[in-house]
Amino acid sequence: MANSEQEISRETFNHLVELAALELEENESDYLLTELNNQISAIRELEAIDVDKGVPPASHGVPYTPDSSPQLRKDDWIACEDADAIIQQSPVVEDRFIIVPDIPHTTLE
Amino acid sequence: MQLCDLSAVEIRNHIISKQASAVEVLESCLQRIKQVDGRPGELESGPETKEDTERVHAFITLTKDAARAQAEMVDKMIASGEDPGPLAGVPATIKDVFCVKDTPSTVGSRILANFISPYTATPVARMRSAGAVLLGKVNLDEFTYGSSTESSAFQPSTRNPWNTSRVPGGSSGGSAASVAAGEAPLSLGTDTAGSIRQPAAFCGVVGLKPTYGRVSRYGLIAFGSSLDCPGPLAKNAKDAALLLRVIAGPDQRDATGANVPVPDYLELLEKEIKGKRIGLSPDYFQITFPDLETGEYVQQPVPAEIQEAVLRTADVYRSLGAEIIEDVPMPNTRYGIPVYFVISRVEAASNLHRFDGVKYGYRADSEIVDLKMLYKKSRGEGFGPQPKLRILMGMYVSAAQYSEQYYQKALQVRTLIRRDFERAFDLNGKYKLDALLTPTTPSTAFPMKDVYGDTVLMQYADQLAVPANHAGIPGVSFPGGLDADGLPIGVQLLGPDFTEGVLLQLTHAYEQATLDDEWRTLRPAVLREM
Amino acid sequence: MAEYEAVIGLETHIQLNTSSKVFCSCKADSWEDPQNTNICPVCTGLPGVLPVLNEEVVEKAVMLAEAMYAQVQPISYFDRKNYFYPDLPKGYQITQFDKPIAVGGHIDLPIPETADPEGKGYIRKVRIHKLHIEEDAGKTKNAHDQRLVDFNRCGVPLVEMVTEPDLRTADEAAQYLIRLRQLLRWLGISEADMEKGNLRCDGNVSIRLKGSNVLNQKTEIKNVNSIDSLRDAIRKEIDRQIREVEKGNEIHAWTLDWDEDSGVLRKMRSKETEADYRYFREPDLLPLIVSSEWKSEILKEFPERPLDRRQRFCDQYDLPMYDADILTLERGLSEYFEEAVKEYQGEPKKVSNWLMNDVLRMIKEQHLEPGAMRLTPAFLAELLKLVDAGTINITTGKSLLQIVQDTGKSPGKLVEEQGLAQVNNDEQLGVICSKVISEHPEEVSAFRNGKESLIGWFVGQVMRESHGKADAKMAKDILTDLLK
Repeated sequence: MANSEQEISRETFNHLVELAALELEENESDYLLTELNNQISAIRELEAIDVDKGVPPASHGVPYTPDSSPQLRKDDWIACEDADAIIQQSPVVEDRFIIVPDIPHTTLE
Repeated sequence: MQLCDLSAVEIRNHIISKQASAVEVLESCLQRIKQVDGRPGELESGPETKEDTERVHAFITLTKDAARAQAEMVDKMIASGEDPGPLAGVPATIKDVFCVKDTPSTVGSRILANFISPYTATPVARMRSAGAVLLGKVNLDEFTYGSSTESSAFQPSTRNPWNTSRVPGGSSGGSAASVAAGEAPLSLGTDTAGSIRQPAAFCGVVGLKPTYGRVSRYGLIAFGSSLDCPGPLAKNAKDAALLLRVIAGPDQRDATGANVPVPDYLELLEKEIKGKRIGLSPDYFQITFPDLETGEYVQQPVPAEIQEAVLRTADVYRSLGAEIIEDVPMPNTRYGIPVYFVISRVEAASNLHRFDGVKYGYRADSEIVDLKMLYKKSRGEGFGPQPKLRILMGMYVSAAQYSEQYYQKALQVRTLIRRDFERAFDLNGKYKLDALLTPTTPSTAFPMKDVYGDTVLMQYADQLAVPANHAGIPGVSFPGGLDADGLPIGVQLLGPDFTEGVLLQLTHAYEQATLDDEWRTLRPAVLREM
Repeated sequence: MAEYEAVIGLETHIQLNTSSKVFCSCKADSWEDPQNTNICPVCTGLPGVLPVLNEEVVEKAVMLAEAMYAQVQPISYFDRKNYFYPDLPKGYQITQFDKPIAVGGHIDLPIPETADPEGKGYIRKVRIHKLHIEEDAGKTKNAHDQRLVDFNRCGVPLVEMVTEPDLRTADEAAQYLIRLRQLLRWLGISEADMEKGNLRCDGNVSIRLKGSNVLNQKTEIKNVNSIDSLRDAIRKEIDRQIREVEKGNEIHAWTLDWDEDSGVLRKMRSKETEADYRYFREPDLLPLIVSSEWKSEILKEFPERPLDRRQRFCDQYDLPMYDADILTLERGLSEYFEEAVKEYQGEPKKVSNWLMNDVLRMIKEQHLEPGAMRLTPAFLAELLKLVDAGTINITTGKSLLQIVQDTGKSPGKLVEEQGLAQVNNDEQLGVICSKVISEHPEEVSAFRNGKESLIGWFVGQVMRESHGKADAKMAKDILTDLLK
């Protein structure tokens, strides 16, 4: 990385890692931080683009018309064929509950 | 010629006319897989062997028994005079990004390595109902993040059948390679930033990205929800049309599925292309990328061989009566990658939130003291570096303080990219194009390990393909020759919304006009001894 | 000492009573079901699934918006709110962040004398900030140092409604919930039972000097499970803030958790106050379009609002507010009343009296639906007319109510069948009175010696003798005569 300052500092990076609930090895950390900053310089190009305030943001490329939009769902109850198969995917299940360790305490007096 | 080397249409016709049974066809494909594929991708794969470097490794999970049962069912139906469907007995591979019931659906990642899906994705279910014989799940970049399939947690990752020291492209590398190597005539892949078209180009097959919303995304493990498109990979336009017809159409389970009727693509194929207006754009013959050393943007022309392949294709179309319109400006093409970096990462980071070790997939089992630790260790150990990168970038550019600057801006630039195409395709506009003819990729298949790790360079390989994803329009890549190293060159056509029929028609016309071209006599390296 | 006023805003989450969840076809109500049985790939956030919006959810949200005089937006958008929690399987909640389905609106809250420190009663106008649609999360419960997760409730449709900070007392806050609960049941869009969690409320509380216009730092109160708890919690928090301010301390932006068992508020170290949810448009859903045609269609059957009906009953039927309030508490009852009045053709107050007391008691004790009773409004009217005509006395009339409800037979028929007609024939009654007098000589002496109150006892004996059918007034007159 050359002249342009690192936009994402090690501190910001660590905060992002916390937010993303990831635990990283050290060499992994270095690699990711470098690549992130490289990508940011690529993204920086967006700043230079002069976009008229009137240009709408596009959540989808293809425009949906009333005709091409699918209809909303009818309010019918349809039971899932195999709810058991879903629960069985969980690594720790007891008595049909999914078990996880407790959340770090949040309540203070 | 072996059964497995026939086209899908030919196979179907053989089976329906009882010239061959579905089981015989299946056996032929299984035999081919045995000969060329080598060991399937797995988590603890150990060191690479010499044999590994000479095999294709398209598969993660080969579902032989299920396939056999499906083939037998097709034969039974034929025998009793029932119609098994438009894909009767045709073998197909499925990119392992689709959930298939009772089958490992790994998305190429450790975090879902043990996930046996309790339901089946809609496009796959439609293929099954149409009589297809599903051979199994093929390899991909982890979570579809990449353009070479190298990032898969299941190694050895796929190699290019034309030259096994080269990548097959990505993320649908296993799909493209399995078709190119004759392991199956059809594959179902996905295209988020060229992930069908680029591997199709590298492996010398046809790959179609349908219009966004043309094919249901239900059951497709999501990456970029506003960009992902399931689509066919096949040996030729006719086969691609066959598969597209089966999978396209609205689905009650997908609220973004377009309520647009599905035409008979096969019927449209044979129509004349006389009078079709095909455009060429200088913006697609340049590659723009950042020089990370200097921080400057560099522009280079697309390699000469690739340009020539595209121009030769234009000549073929001219000779068939189409009009070639040059110098069509597509000025916002160069912003495709930066916009993609932002939008896809924001969506990906959010889509990956659900992988937390709680409900399915990998859960860390070392000393877990509390829930936060469970999340961090499971995700830290389950995800490879590419997903982690996308998550972190996504969280950064969507954070409240940056959202306006990056995410909202990217969405606006996306509109500009879309408008480039609308202007080009506008029937009342200056160009009135039916299609835009471009190279698919800025290079042919690069060597394994050459680019992987440099994520910026890897991403820029998609710059000619990604604008179509932003705009939602359809695009197809088909083989347009070989380069001096004998590697396939892909040529791309981009069209207005829901004009897959025209794109396939143009592809078919090119194929028919160049049937006798010499380069078509050459086969991928792995097939040359046969 | 300075005088303070409280500034209170309420955020309610309303569980809609649709058949299915908001984004998938599982059941919306699984209160009774065993854990993790009312689930599917979509609401458990399996890889590859997609949400599909339930149109009935939109319709019920539009009904509520209309009832609150809010503006339904022709286009609104869904967004993802991203955070990690075990009851949130996708790791994000689909909600509406900045472009909700309805904005604005208000309710003119009647505050009764009992809730008014000045004892007069008044109207508090509460403005609505917005209404939006979102999905509910699952449930977790603690077991030792583990959490047990149940996804049955994931994806249940919620409407979140946020008021402006227009409430000024804990009692007003309670009234808001009472009226909201009434409205939700009136419209038929939610069971609105706080104990079952289908109406949840968080309160934002701050204080300021009386007469001031500033908005000071507020605290958030969570986890109240009943209207009384809300009133209690808010009262306690107001008191606490006043104490702190009097001491010269600052009020911090705390989130306070209400402990039902001990009746205290505890400060939560809420990491969520610092959480950045990184909202962005939900790419798996299209913008929600409510056309004017659709809106008209939905509102075709829109009923008279409960408070409007309450006022109309006062005006149209000349009823005191007390009566009108009780009769319009529940929509079915109010409709019953009007139907009965129509049939009766007499003084509405009479109908009201009977309905508010005896009939309402029956309804409550026997868990009856006013619209589905065998004691129909027409039968009630008939019964009243029989009493008016003197055919039966009031006591008989009241006992007939239950019999009509039990048998479904008309009052007229029952009177005939069981010979319940009032004994108001002079001769007949005279015979019974004489009998009673002759059988109780001690009481007769006592009466004649000055114990005049015994007349009531004598009437009672005549009633007993006549199996309740005697015309009490007439009996009293005859007895008084005979005892002279």
